[in-house]
Amino acid sequence: MASLRSARMKLPPYPIINLDLAAPLDRHRATVLPEWIDWNGHMNVGFYVVAFDKATDTLCEQFGCSFEYTRQKIGMTFVLEAHVTYDREVKEGDPLRIATQILDHDAKRLHYIHMMYHAGEGYLAATNELMLMNIDYASRRSAPWPDFAMDRIEKLAAAHARLPKPAQAGRLIGIKKK
Amino acid sequence: MLQTLPLASLPYELPELVTRAPLDTHRSTVLPEWVDWNGHMNVAFYVTAFDQASGAFMRNMGLGRRYVDGKLGMTFVLETHVTYDREVRKDAPLRFTTQLLACDAKKVHLFHEMYHAEQGYLAATTETIVMNIDYASRRSAPWPVPVARRLEAIWEAHKVLPRPAKAGRIMGLSKKA
Repeated sequence: MASLRSARMKLPPYPIINLDLAAPLDRHRATVLPEWIDWNGHMNVGFYVVAFDKATDTLCEQFGCSFEYTRQKIGMTFVLEAHVTYDREVKEGDPLRIATQILDHDAKRLHYIHMMYHAGEGYLAATNELMLMNIDYASRRSAPWPDFAMDRIEKLAAAHARLPKPAQAGRLIGIKKK
Repeated sequence: MLQTLPLASLPYELPELVTRAPLDTHRSTVLPEWVDWNGHMNVAFYVTAFDQASGAFMRNMGLGRRYVDGKLGMTFVLETHVTYDREVRKDAPLRFTTQLLACDAKKVHLFHEMYHAEQGYLAATTETIVMNIDYASRRSAPWPVPVARRLEAIWEAHKVLPRPAKAGRIMGLSKKA
């Protein structure tokens, strides 16, 4: 739809950070906050996804579709589907490192996986595979990525294409029957 | 390998067992702190809301707060798959249904649906694997005996339900967006 404000936008009305083509994208850092801990004494399942969602913001900053994109009423990004593997516990105060690999993309969507590591001890704590869709702000419906975003997504995807597909991607949930 | 033995009994009274299939007792409301800059419930808090629905299922099995506070055991989520089907806004009332898809000596495989309780639409689904954990060793352990007995009764009621269309999904682009 040509009427979409975001469609074919060459440049957004705000600066975009320099593209980081290291593969995987390894920029996001966090710390396990006290309010993320549940009665089991570890980070609660919901807050792993809070932490991962902030890593999605870090990813979207790479192609100019993060907070300013929404604040300036151009567009939004909605998650369609998510898969989380909880691999190991993390506790209050633990430093986290989240690396992100793009798996696939099309005109409107982005398929990627985050890997969360304990930044001090190095172990894998969790993974989160996601399908993200671009949304036009005014209509609140799906729309093609703006040109400035698509150009950068393609460069990121090309840089990530050499990475092996993580074992945690494309998983089917189930338990073996007795 | 050292095998943890199941607890023979639990030192508290279990709630009345609900074998209705699916389980449909859990209700919730979208809290203001669950809403993000897009003006709707943030993806993470769907998981929190679903985790509370898993908690309702666990309480029905006999594994509530007293199970943890009594230092008997815990339940850990191993894996979760969420489909986000429609937005929900601040204060929206939510209704959940929970179907037991499979179970074994230590784990349950649950499928939750989240509905807008007034408008009736499906907002999201989640499929999740929950495992029983021994409190002291913090390792997996078989369900306590009374819990395993309840789980069997629940499974008898749930196994006849059709498998939900959104269960067993693998993520990917169909290339036809």
